[in-house]
Amino acid sequence: MTSMFKAELLKLRRRRFVIGVTIGTVAFAALSALTVFLSAAGPGEPVAARGATVESLGQAGGATQAFSLGASFVGILVLVLFIANFAGEFTQGTFRTLLMRQPRRPALLAGKMAALLAFVAVAMLLAEILTVAASAALAPTQDISTGSWFSLDSLGEAGGDYATSMLGVSAWAAFGMALAIVVRSIPIGLGIGIVWSGPFEHLVADAWNTANQWLPGLLLEALAAGGTPDVSVTRALTIVAIYVIAATTAAALVFVRRDITA
Amino acid sequence: MTSTIDHTVAATPDHEVVHRPPAVSLRALTKRYGDRVAVDALTIEVPAGVVAGFVGPNGAGETTTMAMLLGLVAPTEGNGSVLGEPLDDPASFLGSVGALIEGPAFYPGLTGAQNLAVLATAAGHDADQVRGLLELVGLADRGDDRFRGYSFGMKQRLGIAGALLGDPRLLILDEPINGLDPAGVREMRGLIGRLASEERTVLVSSHVLAELEQVCDWLIVIDGGRLVFQGPAADVLGGDDASLTVAPEHPGDLDRLRDVLATAGHDSEIGGERLKVTINGADPRALAAAVNRAAGASGLVLAELSVSRTSLEDRYLSMVDDEGADR
Repeated sequence: MTSMFKAELLKLRRRRFVIGVTIGTVAFAALSALTVFLSAAGPGEPVAARGATVESLGQAGGATQAFSLGASFVGILVLVLFIANFAGEFTQGTFRTLLMRQPRRPALLAGKMAALLAFVAVAMLLAEILTVAASAALAPTQDISTGSWFSLDSLGEAGGDYATSMLGVSAWAAFGMALAIVVRSIPIGLGIGIVWSGPFEHLVADAWNTANQWLPGLLLEALAAGGTPDVSVTRALTIVAIYVIAATTAAALVFVRRDITA
Repeated sequence: MTSTIDHTVAATPDHEVVHRPPAVSLRALTKRYGDRVAVDALTIEVPAGVVAGFVGPNGAGETTTMAMLLGLVAPTEGNGSVLGEPLDDPASFLGSVGALIEGPAFYPGLTGAQNLAVLATAAGHDADQVRGLLELVGLADRGDDRFRGYSFGMKQRLGIAGALLGDPRLLILDEPINGLDPAGVREMRGLIGRLASEERTVLVSSHVLAELEQVCDWLIVIDGGRLVFQGPAADVLGGDDASLTVAPEHPGDLDRLRDVLATAGHDSEIGGERLKVTINGADPRALAAAVNRAAGASGLVLAELSVSRTSLEDRYLSMVDDEGADR
């Protein structure tokens, strides 16, 4: 597993790739901060769902509120990237090449997954830091005090936001990996993944009013929102964890047992 | 038309017999996909230290057999060993095996050197060997170019370099000369010869039988997933099937030449403007001299006198045709 972890990191550490991800992260930070600060509701103004207010932005968690809101949209992106990465190994035939060098299939899968998640974790940390910086630059333009941002409470909020984001992202990553291993095709994987996590679950929720307590995409939305009136964070975490375990176990079994013929 | 070998006896390139365990030993290996049998109770052995040619018509099962040797495809039935380790535990032997199967597959966005470094790292090998391997396969000056920009021949060379990572004791190469230009084919032939001379075993499949004929000292022929022949290549390419062709200066002298040769004790038959002399186990060179002498003594001038041996391709086609007729 360690060898495969290092091998996957070699791919991810390519200069061109790192530059691309960094540019994307900067864009994410700037866009998240601009959206949140420019749309923050002032005193007496109506507040959109999960929207920020000038008051909430001035509190300890205000520094990372833009990151938290922005990160809730990263899940789909991570799903797409993991489907493309793992299914691409089949379509390019590179799983075949790797398995002739690393025949322990569970170790190969675990090492690759761990390296990709480690990379995502670093990118998310960078995104949070950059979003805080962008928020600090924008706060004075909206007359928002940043006095409470530089405290232990604020650090705790930042850690909590990061952990919640990583939990969600890791779950999306696991679903993407599992889907790719099962279908072994980028277009089919992306089609199923995007349709399921986007319109399908919301259409089901329209017809089945407790769907948000059971479907993975809706549970991850509840988790990113820090819980909803219908779904507590604990419930969302528990059921998502069950989905993740089931998905990764199924993917590992399929990967171990299936012939590699492409 | 199969032959077997003693488990502890192996042929070396010069056919000297030494005592070694086989590098590959398969017993009744079978792979079925639904009703289709891709490999049918295949029992083969590849002696250690040989270059073994693995041939068969398209779809005969060579690639599937190689994939089973590499742990990529699970056999439906049968068992075997690779480098003395059980076939069903690929992790126990793949560290000493290098392979190129079903064409070179690498990451298009990575350079050749980066691709090899990823493979070396995944296998737990030292990535320092990458530059040396690129040089060995003639890609030293293109190692920092992206894989997606390589020609097919360059991709094939990179695949060979990947197979050589970790200095493997057994090389399994599936159609390694595919896509190579004539110079590349010659280099590959030399490379395979060099690798084999370093105490490696090489199992190589190819449909270019003229190339296999030049590098192999062991031969395995399969058809329809079943074994047709295995044994020393010399048994297939031996002198028994050599032929002597003679042509007189004037085609009108053909009948006379045949009579002269018959008087001298050499049977022959006319084919076009030539005579094909029956060799019957004689030394072809000595027979050619005798024929030339008899013709000269009768005042006949020969315009052509040539000894030709049956090619691997001829023997292979004959084997496969016989096998097809038997089914």
